[in-house]
Amino acid sequence: MKKTVVIIIAGIILVLSFLVFTNIPLFFKGYSKVKTGVGEVAGPALKLMSKPTQLVRYIFDSYINLVGVKKENFELKKKLDTLQIENQKIVELDKENKRLKSVLNLMEQHPNTMTAARVIGEDVKNWFKCIIIDKGRDHGIREKMPVVTPKGVVGQAVEINKWHSKVMIINDTNSSVDVYIEGKNTRGVLEGTGQTTLKLKYILKNDEIAIGDKLITSGKDSIYPRGLPTGIIITINRNKAGIFADVDVMPFNNYKRLDEVLIIKKK
Amino acid sequence: MKIASYMLISIIFIIFESAILSIFPVEFFKPDVGMPFIIYITLFLGPGTGFLATLIIGLFQEILSNAPPGSMIFTKISIFLLVTFLKGKLYIDSKYSFSYICGGSVVVESFLFLVLSLLSKGELKNVMNVFFYIIPNAIFTGFISIFIFSMIEYINMRFLSRE
Repeated sequence: MKKTVVIIIAGIILVLSFLVFTNIPLFFKGYSKVKTGVGEVAGPALKLMSKPTQLVRYIFDSYINLVGVKKENFELKKKLDTLQIENQKIVELDKENKRLKSVLNLMEQHPNTMTAARVIGEDVKNWFKCIIIDKGRDHGIREKMPVVTPKGVVGQAVEINKWHSKVMIINDTNSSVDVYIEGKNTRGVLEGTGQTTLKLKYILKNDEIAIGDKLITSGKDSIYPRGLPTGIIITINRNKAGIFADVDVMPFNNYKRLDEVLIIKKK
Repeated sequence: MKIASYMLISIIFIIFESAILSIFPVEFFKPDVGMPFIIYITLFLGPGTGFLATLIIGLFQEILSNAPPGSMIFTKISIFLLVTFLKGKLYIDSKYSFSYICGGSVVVESFLFLVLSLLSKGELKNVMNVFFYIIPNAIFTGFISIFIFSMIEYINMRFLSRE
């Protein structure tokens, strides 16, 4: 292909991608179809590649952390390694058992409304925060379905493919959750910052809040049902300009350590 | 044959990054593994194959990210065009000079994303987040591209005929 022709085609694609980005329905719909088609291919590959992650996680957690011990005594280390691995196995199994039990408990509380899914991947860009789960359209997952764990809210399903779905984490800058402060009448909007902590917006300086207060979903954003725990207030700054206080919140879920999640199905 | 091999490797790398990096605490240093492939293919296999690679890699990155639709394609095509125009001016004599170009491209990509957000939506909601990661992403992508360059060169020597 001649260089000029390629540059012209690239220029056209550049303009088209700009139009898709601006959410013009005609371009957006066409692009979504292409993306979904390619996504169907990526899903199974991602599922396959995520299989060894359990093993890698196990090696990373149990072996890499023992590098210091290695230097002290080779023989002792060998014994220690074996014991640690054995111990780690038991601890991991115990943890998994507890985790799955809590997932099961939550599912039993809401029969036929929840689907469990395994996390198989995460965002390849660190500008955005999302996880990829192994359940998709075929399992009844739809857009805007809330994703939770027994600890609390994880995020919402944003892009559904045949076998897998993308979940926007509440830490993402595009995420907003309408919340109440547990036991108080104060209400605010919990926004993602792209970092570990979240910002609680629109809290008046004289509102009744304190460090350590827990936040629960209000159900008024029509995405998350009322009463789901979201996070805990860690800092409050009432000294900044304006009528609102600056409130930092630590979410209950660390999205980097999620193995299983639950999707709340809406009717 | 070459383009198919490179594309397959780059896609495996991107999917592998999504699947495996969630285990390690490397949120701060997440490399753009697609970038070295885009630059290598565009510079050494010509603009036609480079364009095809850019489109596929951009699309795959967007599928595995919460990036707004069209944004990854836009930034990657812009980098492709930039590399195509600068082809005669970019001098790659080693894996290190290649890594500088890859790192620099990540910086340009980040600014392009911010400009795109500002132009199309009139908002810079993600600005602090993007700024926060520009330098670590560029350094780590540059670092990774040294290995990618060496790997491609090795594959060329061992399995594929050199052009």
